Amino acid sequence: MPFIALIKKEIYRFSSIWVQTILGPLATALLYQLIFGHQLSSVSTGIAHINYATYLIPGLVIMQVLLNSFGNSSSSLIQSKYTGNIIFILMAPISNWSMYAAYLISSIIRGVAVGTAVYLGIVWFGSFELQHFWAVLYFAFMGAAITGGLGMIAGILCEKFDQLAGFQSFVMVPLIYLSGIFFNIQHFDPLWKSIAMLDPFLYIVDGFRYGFIGAANFNIIYGSLFVLVFAAVVNGIGFGLLKRGVKFKH
Amino acid sequence: MYALEINNVSKIYDNKFTALNDVSFKLAAGDFVGLLGVNGAGKTTLISAVAGINSYHGQIKVMGIDLQNDLVAAKKMMGIVPQEIAFDPFTTVYQTLKLQSGLYGVKNNKSWLEEIVVRMHLEDKINANTRSLSGGMKRRLMVAQALVHKPPLIILDEPTAGVDVEIRKNLWDFITELHRQGHTILLTTHYLEEVEKLCNQIVMIDKGKVIARSSKEELNRKANDMPTIFEVETKDGLFLDELRSLVVATESNKYTLRLANNDQMMLVLNQLMAGGIKIENMNISKPKLEDIFLNYLGH
Repeated sequence: MPFIALIKKEIYRFSSIWVQTILGPLATALLYQLIFGHQLSSVSTGIAHINYATYLIPGLVIMQVLLNSFGNSSSSLIQSKYTGNIIFILMAPISNWSMYAAYLISSIIRGVAVGTAVYLGIVWFGSFELQHFWAVLYFAFMGAAITGGLGMIAGILCEKFDQLAGFQSFVMVPLIYLSGIFFNIQHFDPLWKSIAMLDPFLYIVDGFRYGFIGAANFNIIYGSLFVLVFAAVVNGIGFGLLKRGVKFKH
Repeated sequence: MYALEINNVSKIYDNKFTALNDVSFKLAAGDFVGLLGVNGAGKTTLISAVAGINSYHGQIKVMGIDLQNDLVAAKKMMGIVPQEIAFDPFTTVYQTLKLQSGLYGVKNNKSWLEEIVVRMHLEDKINANTRSLSGGMKRRLMVAQALVHKPPLIILDEPTAGVDVEIRKNLWDFITELHRQGHTILLTTHYLEEVEKLCNQIVMIDKGKVIARSSKEELNRKANDMPTIFEVETKDGLFLDELRSLVVATESNKYTLRLANNDQMMLVLNQLMAGGIKIENMNISKPKLEDIFLNYLGH
């Protein structure tokens, strides 16, 4: 089945460079945990019985889920364009739906796989028991679907690696850093808090952390619905671009 | 049923450039057709339209399936070797072919994959990463990729560019064998001798329009009607005065004549012999496909 074949191809692609795609994010998360977790251990999380090192763990895990899901679809598409290999996908008997879904699912798989590796690598720095496993799964998968979709949009629209780097620097990084990964946004000053409230990633991180520690800044049901709608919008745009053949077909 | 039907296909880009202008031709099942045209004539644009990559106006059918009705089903019927070298830098030769098979829904084709690897002379590189392949090897891998699902229609867009002579011959032997087995082949190449040798039909395209469509026999007949260069070296440089109007160059005892066709050449030869002219040497330059092609282009 072409759809499965494309997923296998994508999984093979990122697993064949596991040092870069799995070990790299794990090393980054370990460094963040060691430096921030230690240096900022006295920072209040605003949640009783949850110290900063414990608070940071879900943030670092979901950060790598989001970044790697984005990185998978975007880098796969841009590399395929660069090497010209995309033509073999475009010529293959695979529908636009199947092609889009295969890239998206592969991105989700990579994001969740890296998130799992990071979790297993840094969980030892904190002390908690999973409170709501459904929320961990839901927000991890939906977050990966959102950034996987953003990766599709970036991969379709960008023609060069530096354009993709620009998308990462000016879109992904600000959204990630304002999403409350490192700090509880309740501690931000009013201006930054207002700005952070506009960041859709904030609700992904909040819901994901809720699954671990059982406390959230926002209503978890509204947060769940919001990320569902956001994932649908992002992927609707991504699929629309692919279907229209923007930057692929003439 | 035709293997490929191209009916009134036009392609106008956003900048108003007309790349294809009402192109129509058909390939019967089992045809081996050469698509000729200078760079920018529209060959690759046409192949991209057939591949489902370029949009177009008109109708394209592959094995009776209209691309606009069922593109996925139509794509299963063809294997295309694109002009630009493309490769997956993460895979080996065998993995590339295995993944390509999966994209066409083909399973358990190990023996066929091994056979095409051997026929493409890539057996020594079967486990090598594609990045380590030379340009010619990458091109042969692309040919192998187009064949993994044994498509009834094989489209080759300059498959032998950068491939050395011996391997080019082996490649054509394999393609000819596939043609004999019933596959329909559409070929574009700049090596006109390949077209002359392999194809039974030739379509010429220029500025997005089909300017000629002929069988090889028709082209040979056309060649007979084209000017022939006849060089004749006579004993002591003797020549018939009544034929001097046909001479375009003279060099010691050698006369070069430009004749309207083969029939006129036979008449001239007979006249020379009847006139007692002793011919020591002669050379006939028959028009080649290239000359016919240029003639169509108006050069």
